[in-house]
Amino acid sequence: MDIIDARDLTVGYGREEVLRGLSFAVTKGLITAVVGVSGSGKSTLLKTLAGLLPPLGGGFDFAGAPVDYRSEASLRRLYGSIGVLYQDGALLNGLTLYENVALPVRMHYPELPEGVVRDVVYAGLAQVEMADSAEKLPAELSGGMRKRGALARALVLDPEVVFCDEPSSGLDPITSLRLDDLLLRLKERSRMTLVVVTHELRSIERVADRVLLLHDGGLRFSGDYAGLASSDDEFIRTFFLRKDHHDDA
Amino acid sequence: MTEILLPKSFRAAEIVSVLTEIRRQGGEGPVTLDFRDVEVFDSTTLAFLGHLTDCLPGAVAAHVPDALTRAETGFARRPDGCWPEKPAVASADSRLGRLLGFLADRFLARVRVLGRFLAMFADEVFHIGRYLKKRQGVYPGETWNQMFIMGYRSYPIVCFLLFLVGVTISITSAEQLRMFGAEVYIADLIGYAMLRELVPLMTGVILAGKVGAAVTAELASMTVLEEVDALRTMGIVPEKFLMVPRLISITLVVPLLVAMADVAGILGGMAVARVVFGMLPAAFLDQMINTVGWVDFAWGLIKTVVFGWAVVVSAGFKGLTVGRSAEEVGRATTESVVLSVTLVIIIDCIFAFFIY
Repeated sequence: MDIIDARDLTVGYGREEVLRGLSFAVTKGLITAVVGVSGSGKSTLLKTLAGLLPPLGGGFDFAGAPVDYRSEASLRRLYGSIGVLYQDGALLNGLTLYENVALPVRMHYPELPEGVVRDVVYAGLAQVEMADSAEKLPAELSGGMRKRGALARALVLDPEVVFCDEPSSGLDPITSLRLDDLLLRLKERSRMTLVVVTHELRSIERVADRVLLLHDGGLRFSGDYAGLASSDDEFIRTFFLRKDHHDDA
Repeated sequence: MTEILLPKSFRAAEIVSVLTEIRRQGGEGPVTLDFRDVEVFDSTTLAFLGHLTDCLPGAVAAHVPDALTRAETGFARRPDGCWPEKPAVASADSRLGRLLGFLADRFLARVRVLGRFLAMFADEVFHIGRYLKKRQGVYPGETWNQMFIMGYRSYPIVCFLLFLVGVTISITSAEQLRMFGAEVYIADLIGYAMLRELVPLMTGVILAGKVGAAVTAELASMTVLEEVDALRTMGIVPEKFLMVPRLISITLVVPLLVAMADVAGILGGMAVARVVFGMLPAAFLDQMINTVGWVDFAWGLIKTVVFGWAVVVSAGFKGLTVGRSAEEVGRATTESVVLSVTLVIIIDCIFAFFIY
């Protein structure tokens, strides 16, 4: 079943179209990697799917209902069903990690007793192995810890889809691998749908069930990793599999 | 025909000295540059070789080593063999057209910004109304936190500066009043000027510099670091979550700030009256109370609350509409202070028409 269904989607800023006429689907319960070279429009597409940047043309359905950017109710429905892990975590610097994770719970359910909020927050932090750092401020956390903390915040209200913008950027290979494992665990245990924007080949190979490859203002490839690896497309071979015609010789 | 044997190392510095030497001896006909000894070269050499005739009309390169020829052939050539040319200089007519187009674009951009600013102001009024009704959408305790930042940290500077303003106004008017034998009216002048005009205006300007700049810098940093986007995708309205506590704080903090600033300014004037005219503080206060009353204090208070709102909404507007680069944080902060001070003075002028 598809949870996101985009039709002829054009995204960009102002009058500048970054990606044109994209039609694709994101399948529920799978990890979809959105890949492409720097500047190919990966983050722009993610912003549109996350309800932050209105499309310049076309549109998309989320969980069977069209997302209408002019309707506050439609956007509220979308925001209530997604979690977003931003590139640098985007934890609020003035709040502790605990308060950051508790923020969406307190804002959406102000009537919940503090004990319930506490249990929900600690369960979320334990899921990303960050319960010991709950009382730390974001400035006291390493890059990897901030991302895991931000992931706990994105997951705390059990969203249907989690968008991750470059989760491995700025992380060492071991931390990056741990984060990939975490994403896989989330998919397997919680049957969560993840849309991961990345250009890390190793990460794509490990976690992605499906790959959307963006290039030159459009969708160059859509399919699974095996299809990507066996592709004859010159661009894919050159830039993503790091093979050129000399390798074939 | 002049022939120049180039040195073993022929890079930017050597190219410049050879060109200077040739131009110094100008008018002696075409030049042949002999490259036979050139062994050390860099990209400047390659670019120079490609543009030889542009640099030296009629010049010829001789005995170019194979290595240099090979490197020059592969040097940064676009498929069509050249880089984009500089745009041609526009004619007078098209320059005028471009200027008019530019001015029209600037004007429309300003109108759009004004529209967005007014829309944000209306949004904030709506959010405050909803918050006061439902008490939701704002982080618990944030209003107290903001009151501490905006109020407690602003009192010392506001009181100190207003005391000095009181002293200055008193000194500058003392001599004029003495000429007319109207020394006793210094109390009226100080009381009236402070309560109605100087305290609200100066407090507004100080708030713009201190509170406005701090709010813009904080919100702009949050925008650049995607914290504002994060709030939005959590279903939290940033314009409410971030702005409502600040607007409530400024509304609650300003009355106390104005009262203390009034006292400080009057004390400044009173001190000068005591020293210059020997006027006793009790007499000063008696005289002042005969002229100024609660209405003057209330107008000053209302004006300052409006100034405070103008400052915080301007700061929020600039902070939340900032671009995505760190340098824009500084630019937004500067623009916010300029916008706030401008608004404070415009609003003060409008009040003057209604009050007096």
